[in-house]
Amino acid sequence: MGTILPADRTGLLRGYAAGAVTWRDLREQGFDDYIQVLGGLGELGLRPPMAPMSGPNVEARRRGRALIARLLRAHADP
Amino acid sequence: MTTPFSLIVTDTSPLFTLVMADALDVLLRPNLPVTIPDAVYFEATRVRGAPGADGIVEWINAHLDAVRLVPTEIGIDQQRRLEEGRSIRGLGELAAIEALDRYIRTSPSATALLLFEDSDIGRRRAVIDDRVALISTGDFLRELERAGLIQSADHILDLASQRGRNVERQRRAVSGEAVRRGLREQLRGRE
Repeated sequence: MGTILPADRTGLLRGYAAGAVTWRDLREQGFDDYIQVLGGLGELGLRPPMAPMSGPNVEARRRGRALIARLLRAHADP
Repeated sequence: MTTPFSLIVTDTSPLFTLVMADALDVLLRPNLPVTIPDAVYFEATRVRGAPGADGIVEWINAHLDAVRLVPTEIGIDQQRRLEEGRSIRGLGELAAIEALDRYIRTSPSATALLLFEDSDIGRRRAVIDDRVALISTGDFLRELERAGLIQSADHILDLASQRGRNVERQRRAVSGEAVRRGLREQLRGRE
């Protein structure tokens, strides 16, 4: 990673866990891979964010969740 | 005839999250073919022996009947960029779009589900055809939780970050040892 100062790194990771910073932002700030992100979150006692059901892709996400739910049910049924 | 359907992985983050939690198999639970574009695969596994990379390779090899690696033009460009020492950042997603375009052209009824990382899907608009739906790692885990197939989504995410922390500590220890070795060699050279 190299160029990110520890304080900046912590701030970025906290922002990421809180949903204020995106994975794309982290990459642009110098995180090389997602393992670094997971590791940094783990050091801080945080977990990766789960996106709230809001934002520009809500309808497509609802369809996606409905599809997965249907497939899981179909697969579980005898 | 059933509708052709595929789950397309657009980024390395779902793979790393799930491999760290030892939970890659959840991707197979909906019984959908899983498509991993070459650029996503290469980005996830390019450092041989790197944490998670071997697990992803082993998992794919164990499920070749259900998991497909798809070659793309973007993947070829990625190799070229690497040879030239240029950045390959973000190419996985472009490769996924190329794989998606090709896939939905195979049949008028082909349908796809794109798997994204949560923070990106929450903030950036994805260009979507009616035959394409989106899902984030978190959405996916929530549905598995709701179906009673995993203990909890939070548990998987906690495991991923806890194991990621251990990996990062090992990396730092190895990196620190490499620096110390370099210093020792420099000092010996002066003697």
